[in-house]
Amino acid sequence: MTFHNEAIDPEALPSLAAVPLTPVSPRLAPCQAILVLVRWLLITAVVLLFPVRDEALALWQPWLAAGAGGLGLIAMTLGWVEARRRAYGLREHDLIYRRGLLVRRTQVLPLVRLQHVESLSNPVERAFGLVRLACFTAGGRGADLVLEGLPTQRAEAVKQHLLARLSGTPPEPRQTEESP
Amino acid sequence: MSEEGEPPASDERALTDWQRLSPWAMGLMLVTAGLSLVRQHLPLLLAAVAGLTLVEHIGWREVGGAAALLLLLGGALCLLYYRRFRFRLDEDVLVIQKGLFEHREFKVAARHVQHIAVHQPLYLRPFDVVQWQVETLAGEASRIELPGIRRGQADALGRRLQADGPGNDRGEAPVEGLTGEPDAVAPSASRVRYALPPRALALHGLTSRSIYVIAAVLSPLVRPLERWLHDRLPQLDLLAWLPASPLVAVGLGLVAVLLVLAALAVLAAWWRFHGYVLRDDGERQVQVSGLFHRQEQALSLARLQVVEWVQTGLGRLLGRGYLVCHQFGSQGGGAAESRRFLVPGLTLTESERLIGELWPGGDRLPPLSRVSRLYRRVLWLRILLGLGAGVGGLILLVGAPPLPPWGWAMLAASLVGLGGGAAELRWRALGWARRGAYLYVRQGLWGQRTSVFPLPHLISLSLRQSWLQRRRSLATLELQVANGRLTLPFLEEPLARALADQLLASVESATERFPETRRRSACVARR
Repeated sequence: MTFHNEAIDPEALPSLAAVPLTPVSPRLAPCQAILVLVRWLLITAVVLLFPVRDEALALWQPWLAAGAGGLGLIAMTLGWVEARRRAYGLREHDLIYRRGLLVRRTQVLPLVRLQHVESLSNPVERAFGLVRLACFTAGGRGADLVLEGLPTQRAEAVKQHLLARLSGTPPEPRQTEESP
Repeated sequence: MSEEGEPPASDERALTDWQRLSPWAMGLMLVTAGLSLVRQHLPLLLAAVAGLTLVEHIGWREVGGAAALLLLLGGALCLLYYRRFRFRLDEDVLVIQKGLFEHREFKVAARHVQHIAVHQPLYLRPFDVVQWQVETLAGEASRIELPGIRRGQADALGRRLQADGPGNDRGEAPVEGLTGEPDAVAPSASRVRYALPPRALALHGLTSRSIYVIAAVLSPLVRPLERWLHDRLPQLDLLAWLPASPLVAVGLGLVAVLLVLAALAVLAAWWRFHGYVLRDDGERQVQVSGLFHRQEQALSLARLQVVEWVQTGLGRLLGRGYLVCHQFGSQGGGAAESRRFLVPGLTLTESERLIGELWPGGDRLPPLSRVSRLYRRVLWLRILLGLGAGVGGLILLVGAPPLPPWGWAMLAASLVGLGGGAAELRWRALGWARRGAYLYVRQGLWGQRTSVFPLPHLISLSLRQSWLQRRRSLATLELQVANGRLTLPFLEEPLARALADQLLASVESATERFPETRRRSACVARR
């Protein structure tokens, strides 16, 4: 076995910045907003109904609950805007997912590292016809990349493409993959 | 029982038929299961014993009878487990059938094996019986154990599985050219790569983390010791030999405690690494060590993902450190380090030589580049916020100390200075370099860890940009490798993007040629 160390022209490498990303479904925004709202409604209810014995503090309790509710509304708005900005890209050799509003994060999973794919959905996502794809690699303890906000049919097509790559068969043509 | 005179080839041939565990394995299982039960349910056991002492009509005879009954039951279960446990090699697949109440069949293909370990506790040495463990690409969670087989069988199994594994007859090394010399593939006669001399063993004990672990383990004894000293000290005529100054006495006491801890740490290292030898067996790297509990670990070079050069703070002062060889699924932090393939007691030169032997071209740690200075300021702010929150919480809990205004100013200044110092140390420790096909990433504060890995060994990456980073054209690159996440914060954005592109191009072009690394490791089927 010989040691190779071939020179690579950095200019010739495919650039991550140049990849056109596809926005996730616009239905993800209301779905995320509802999920955030439910979470914050629970927190607000706990703050409002928590038995406080101190009278002075009890007077402030509705205002504290209103504050929690206000924070919930801000979180919901941010969640909505953030969900509208999420996007993904499927290249020949990797899967890209971009998310985040203030802190933007672009995650890239080379398909050769993929071990298995799971599709997941909670009742709210199902109501909006959305599916999450969880991609796992070797030796990891959890999903390495979770692609959220895909319509059911698109998620199935992406999953089939990933599974085809996993089994080593050539991917289907893009037209078939993207057809509803 | 022991068949030492038998040639190894007969063991290999016999493995194609169903094999049973050694009968001594039943005793071993009884001991290990008993110890494990006691360890897991110690409070319950102590409560039961305390309860029994209060019941008058239960005497020693009844307790002895119950213990004998339990022992009999345990022995019967072990016998049943032994009878159900069998294994064989079906070409290059190890098939194991076992189960007490639920019958299970495990199949491990040789091409999925990444790590083999052999343990031999002292009490099994006379019987030439060992515990044999195999780990697949799925990592520590996939470990399968043969709890007690003959030494010859263990050697034959290891030879067969790793001979049929990657990088040997299939020519499927994950990174071409990274696995060594031209003769690396042939199962040549093994040679010693590294043997741990006694001085290095002692220094490893002193500089490893075990000194802190021992201190933590012994900390509950401080209060009883304090009480004992309080009761006994007045009766002892200590004034004759204790120094007159209380400060000197306290200082001497601290030195004595440190010396005891250091001695215990050296003893722990001696226990674990006595007779440490790393052998080069072609594709396999085999290490053997242990004073009473002998351990043998075999690492396949084709499965080696990341090599980490670790130096604790004291280790940097004494010029010693150790290498950790990571494979897939080796996450879990320092706690899991004892189970990993570790080369202890090395100097920097020795570690560079060893890395170079494992991965030609990966030796000699290059000068590392620092990340943006802005990261130092961000770190300083984060540490200050943490310290401020800590001090604020303490004041809320125990009340504000009666300090004059200049005292508060001094406290604030010392916090700012402390934060600044820690941020500076952390920023200086963080560095990275790319040389040839390898990436070097160093992290730490007082102690440092330098990860070395070939670019194609990346699992995934992510590029993160906060609002501030976007304004300053900076980005944080997070690299997921076999031993966890390596973060390169606050790189210049074009540099971070170029590095990401290079890493992705390397992994996608290299791994295409070696698809075996993609497949799941073990197939588990239930009968």
